[in-house]
Formats: sequence, structure tokens, C-alpha cells
Amino acid sequence: MKGFNIVLTGVGGQGILLAAEILGTAALKEGLNVRVSEIHGMAQRGGAVVSNVRIGENVLAPTFLDGKADILLGFEPLETLRSLNFASEKTIIIMSDERITPTELTAKKMEYPSLKEITNKICSFTKNIIIVEAAKLAKEAGNILTENVVLIGALAATKKIPVKDESILEALKELVPTKHLGTNIKAFKLGYEYAQKYKLKH
Amino acid sequence: MPDSRLLLQDAPNKRALLLGNEAIARGILEAGISVVTTYPGTPASEIADSISEIAAEAGVYMEYSINEMVAVEVAAATANCGVRSLSAMKHVGLNVAADALMTLAYMGVKGGCVIVTADDPECYSSQNEQDNRFYALLANLPCLEPSNAQEAKDMTVSAVEISEKLELPVLLRTTTRVSHTRGPVTYGKLTKPSLKGEFVRDIKRMNLVPANSRPMHTVLLTKAEKAKEISETSPYNTIVRRSKSGKLGVISASAAFNYAMEAIDALDLDASILKLGMTHPLPEKLIGTFLRKHKKIVVVEELEPYLEMQIKAIAKDYAPNVKIYGKMGTLYFPRDGELSTRAVVIGLAKITRRKLPIDLKEIDRKYAEVLKDLPRRPPILCAGCPHRATFYVIRKATDGKAVYPNDIGCYALGFAPPLSIGDGFLCMGSSVSMAQGISKVTGRDTIGIIGDSTFFHAAIPGLINAVYNNHKITLAVLDNQATAMTGHQPHPGTGVTGMGVPTEKVLIEKVAEGCGVKFVRVVDPFKVKEATAVLKEALQHSGPSVVVFRSPCALMVVRDRRRKGAKIMVCKITEECTNCMACIKLLGCPALVLVDGKASINETLCIGCGLCASVCPYQAIKCEEIG
Repeated sequence: MKGFNIVLTGVGGQGILLAAEILGTAALKEGLNVRVSEIHGMAQRGGAVVSNVRIGENVLAPTFLDGKADILLGFEPLETLRSLNFASEKTIIIMSDERITPTELTAKKMEYPSLKEITNKICSFTKNIIIVEAAKLAKEAGNILTENVVLIGALAATKKIPVKDESILEALKELVPTKHLGTNIKAFKLGYEYAQKYKLKH
Repeated sequence: MPDSRLLLQDAPNKRALLLGNEAIARGILEAGISVVTTYPGTPASEIADSISEIAAEAGVYMEYSINEMVAVEVAAATANCGVRSLSAMKHVGLNVAADALMTLAYMGVKGGCVIVTADDPECYSSQNEQDNRFYALLANLPCLEPSNAQEAKDMTVSAVEISEKLELPVLLRTTTRVSHTRGPVTYGKLTKPSLKGEFVRDIKRMNLVPANSRPMHTVLLTKAEKAKEISETSPYNTIVRRSKSGKLGVISASAAFNYAMEAIDALDLDASILKLGMTHPLPEKLIGTFLRKHKKIVVVEELEPYLEMQIKAIAKDYAPNVKIYGKMGTLYFPRDGELSTRAVVIGLAKITRRKLPIDLKEIDRKYAEVLKDLPRRPPILCAGCPHRATFYVIRKATDGKAVYPNDIGCYALGFAPPLSIGDGFLCMGSSVSMAQGISKVTGRDTIGIIGDSTFFHAAIPGLINAVYNNHKITLAVLDNQATAMTGHQPHPGTGVTGMGVPTEKVLIEKVAEGCGVKFVRVVDPFKVKEATAVLKEALQHSGPSVVVFRSPCALMVVRDRRRKGAKIMVCKITEECTNCMACIKLLGCPALVLVDGKASINETLCIGCGLCASVCPYQAIKCEEIG
């Protein structure tokens, strides 16, 4: 059961599966045992997407038990809430503030809940929350599509994941098209620096 | 074969010597089955052949469908309009129909629906001798097995009753020696068939996208439990002889039962005999009690050890010294949904009486708090998806008054409001054949919805079926130039092979024409006015019609533009906007959202398809390029 558990959660099209692959590849580069669970197909069409990345010698199962996430990487605030069952007071939540309104809300003429309401709910599970302005930083890096790498940068900055920054950058080089590599590295750095400024409460 | 008209005699209690298959035909008339579909195959053929001769006079609609899957789909559709139906085929035919059958079990039916599978032990006229009772086990469907002609007729009627009681299709499994053996049959009353059905939209049951399938699986398991109760008290499952000593018990079913009886008598054995006529689900208590009362049990059956396997399992539950843990008997692990670390931890803890390693109750409590009022986020059509335009066109052309059976692919999502186009589907290709069944018994405008890849995969037989049987349906082919749902793989319509080599492009419109469709048109769904006019024309056509809505997948359009370094288009709301919300109300595009109470366009999601601009009554939406 032990091992380092990351849950990645968000909306189809946000690059969640690629982010999970980058983390898994980085772990493999260091010779670590790893499991990356992915769900393809219909879930990707703007629906909720959840991926689990597990790193550790004895890891066998593709998914893990409730309350056992070390890191929750939330690409979207409402989807972060939806994966809170994996969190405990020890879990570090890294959440993008980029909101994607579910059509159900629009249809009911309701607006997206405030970030404060969302963080209040998260606090019932854990106080360790890093909210990243991922969309803003991705644009700053040169491409809105690099939000996922901004979040990976923030994750690396926590120094919790048992994988070196260099390995993650190596994995990036391998998985991102060469012409976009510069933008992605910049996105990684921006996310990294952003999270470094955060003081975690534990 | 005697004159089939004799089957029409309204003479209860008359005794006639009928072939097993003729007896089923008589059962069809007694049960008031109104739609009979088939693909001929020995030993099933005479069922539908008998009906074919008298269909018009009996007021029954029958068709020789293009294949078994189409036959089951047409029957399933009419049964879902409340009209009793039966589909007959040989055992290997059910392999062809299996895709539809497995999901039909989830969807269920409203009117009785009987699927006859005629198995062929000894391969008298077949390429194998498979035992189709396993389909009942696999699909969780009730299965009746007659042992003679009388039972063949009676069980046809009972199958309809059970089907309607459980709202499930029922398998009627015969074997060659039952289908092709004559025996005395006492007639019952005839029931007047009715071809008048009503289609009631029931998205949660009929539109089996994953979110609906999961609960429907649970519903199916609940129905299977009820079927067990029926089996437990079924007159077809009965102890036909009790031994004096209680040493030997024989359990048998189907044709094998007859052999068993004669052998027992020939050997002058003192045996109790349990005869099973409802062989799925098995009457567990009846069998268990029977097992307890005897020292030896012999199972006599034909082909696979289908009964034996299950009876052995039952024996373990009823024997005091054997304990089996798992999904049989006591449910230590779930039978529906995905197995998870959690489920296994809980199951194992129960079995070993250990404490859980984590306070799951506390997590569940807190998590339930979080989930309260949390909006769902099911998959939806992407911003800029051409299917959204097609669905808008379909809604405009029909005012939402037609029936819209759809199919497997992204477009299955069209059922969601506000477009709400799509009334259900079974499997690849079911749109075109279900449309035929629905149109037949409701007389309503019916538009089957199918994608390009699915068209090539499974719609062509259904389309030929529509032409051959002159079904008045319209097929909307949503051609986005890729197998989009699974990741844009090529198909015969794209002109590229899996090796990336250019190849002959097969055009859907040419295939449709080749199938004999007289009305075939190709339109661009984003040209809303023109496409709407064409679809209206198609609906006026007297026979089957096909409209191909052609426009590439939005994800491919964006990807290609990005690869070429071309600019991306986005739509913007201008000052002319009166906040009438037409764009939001009509289209359900994820890029259209409310911000501070006003309609607004999310630039990250928008790809500038311009559909919202074309529905805006104030021309307040413009499209422009961004970097």
C-alpha cells in the first residue's frame, strides 16, 4: 500500500494525462517503480478526468485508497473538490484557479462558486493548499496550453515528490514537441517559482 | 409442413400435432406478439416461416431482417414502444446479435420481448454446437428451455409474461430435437396483436452512456434477483418424481430430460427427478433443498456443464462443511462497478473480521458534505463540434417532435439539454435498425443518428434492411471525417490507411445510393438554413432517406491550425447583445457561460465555429482571429 501517491484531477482537454505521463516517465528515469492510471475515451470530451500516479517499490495497484494522496494536483477548482476523498490532513493540494464552468451551472443560470467557498470546503480535509494562477502563468510562458506544466513546476517546488527536478525536465524533453519545449520549460519555471513563495502549514 | 393457416384457429383446447417451431409460432399468436423478426437459420427457420404465411391475416408484422443483430434491434425497438415482439435465430446467429443483446439487458423493454435461440447439438446443420444458455448467464437474462412442442408453445407465452413482468427480454432456448420434433399441443386462447405502439422518451434507461449504464447495471442485477424468485416458484421447475429411499436424485432440462426419464425407467432406478424449464436464473432454494434430500445427484444435460457448474456451486452453499467466499452466494465483493482497492479492503476486512486501516466512514461523511450541491461534469460535445450544429438543425427541422434513436460515438452526447436530440441506443449500428422498429409501430417521423465510422462499421446491413422492407426512416450520418471519440483514427471514408498510406476513399453517399436509398443528400451542418431545408425534404420522402452532415471534428480543425501555425478563430459578444440568452439556451456550448449575469464567451474554449453567431437574433456575436 505504501508509496508516493499523486491524484491529478480536472477537465478533459486540460492535459492531465500528459502531466501524469510526464511524472511517471520522470520516476522511471530514476529507476523507480511506478503506476500511472489513465481513463481515455468519453471522459475526455469536456468531462471530469482523474488520473493516479503512484511511485514506490511495492506499488502494484493502479489506483489507491481514499485518504491516501500525498499530493492532489487540481487542474480545476470544482474538480479538485470532486477528488477530495483521496485527501487527508497530510495531503498537499496544488490547485489551479482556472475555472471551467460546467454546462449544468450555465443551464441553471447559476454562476461558478467563489474561490473562497471552494477553499473553505477543501479546508475540511487539509489546510495545505497552494493556489496557482496557472492560466496567467501559462500565458506568460507563451502558450495557454502549458497550464499542466505550470502545475508540475509547482509540484516540483514542494520537494515532496521522490523525483529530482532534472528528471522531470528530462521527461518534458521527451514528451513535449521540440518546438514547444522552450515554452514548456518556461512554464515549469514559472510554476516552480510561484509555489516556492508559498509557505505550507505543516 | 401443414398449412400454417391451421395455426390461426381460434379453438382453445384443440389438440394438434405440431413441430416444436410451429408450436412457437402458435405461441406467438396466443401471446399477442405483434412483431416478428428473424434471420433464417436451421433449426430456427420454421418459426418465422410459419408466421410469414399468415402474418397479414393475423395482423402481425414480420420481416426477414438483413442479419440477426438488425432483427434483435428492430424487435427491441418495437418492444420499447410497448409492442410485443419476438426475434428468432439459430445459435450462431445470436453471436451476431450479441452486441445488441448484452446492452438490451440493461435497457430492458416495455412490451414483452422474446429472443429465440435454436441450438444445434451434434452440428446437424451448423459449424459448431455452442450452448447458448451461457448467453443468459452472461447477459443476466431469464432463459426458458422447452423439452417438447407443448412446452415450446406454453413457454413462448410465459416468456412474454415474464418479459413484461421484469421488463427484460427473455431467451427461449430450443435445441434441434425440440425445434424439429412433432408432438401433441393443446391450444390456448388467441390474443389479438396490436401494432400500435407509443415511444416515450426515457433517457436514463435508453441512452446508455457510461453514466446511465452504471445504474442500469444495478437495475439489471435487481431484476435478475426478481427473476430468481420467479424461477423458484415456476411450474417449469418442478420435482416430477420422488424416490422412496432418497438415495438418488436426477436433475435435467431441455431435450436431455426426456432421455433421462426413459433411461431411469429402463434401468428401473428409484430416483427423484427435478426437471428444470427455467434454466436462468436457476431456482437455488429448490435445487438446494433437493440436494439435501439425496445422497447422490446426477445431472443429465446436453452440451456444456452449464447446470452442473451452477449446481455444484449451490451444493457448496448448502453443504455445511464447505464455505466459498466471493461473489457467489454472499456478496463479499461488488458485482457491479469497478473493483477498487477500497472495495477489496472492505471485503477482506469483513471476511477476516479485521478493522479497516483507515477511517473510511469519516472520509465518506466529509466527502458527502463536499459533494453536496457540487455540479456534475459529464462529457459533452466540445466547443465548435459540428455535431452541435447538426443537432440544432435536426431540432429546427423537426421541432423536437420526431423520435431520434442514436448510436455509439461522440454524438451519443446529443441527448443532453438543450439540444436533447437522441433517445437511446444499444450498440454500433442500432440507430438505423431501431429507427425502423419505432417508425413501424408509432408512425412518427424517425431520424436515426449515426457517425461516419459507425456507419461503415455496422449501419450498412440496417440501411439495406430499411430499403428492402421499405421502412420510412431518415438516417442522419454525422460525418466528421474521423473516428473522433477514440482519438481520430482513420476509416474507409477518410482515404488513409492505418499505415498512413493514402487509399481509396469510400463515400457514405455512394454506399447509401448503392444500398438502394433513393433520397441521399450531403450538407454542411454549419449552413443551418440550407441543411434544415434538406432535412425537411428528407422527412417528406416516402421511403428511407439519408442525409450526410459533413464537417470535420473541431479538435482536428484546431490541431491542424496549430500545427500549421495558423491563427485560431474566436467568437466575441459585441455591444449589440441584449442578454436575451438565446445562444446559451439553444446550444449548450461549453464556451458560452454566464459572467456577472451576462452571456459571455470563454476564449480558451471557443474555436470560432460561429454557430452561436448564426442563432443570435440580434447579430451581436462576431468571429475574429486571435494570435
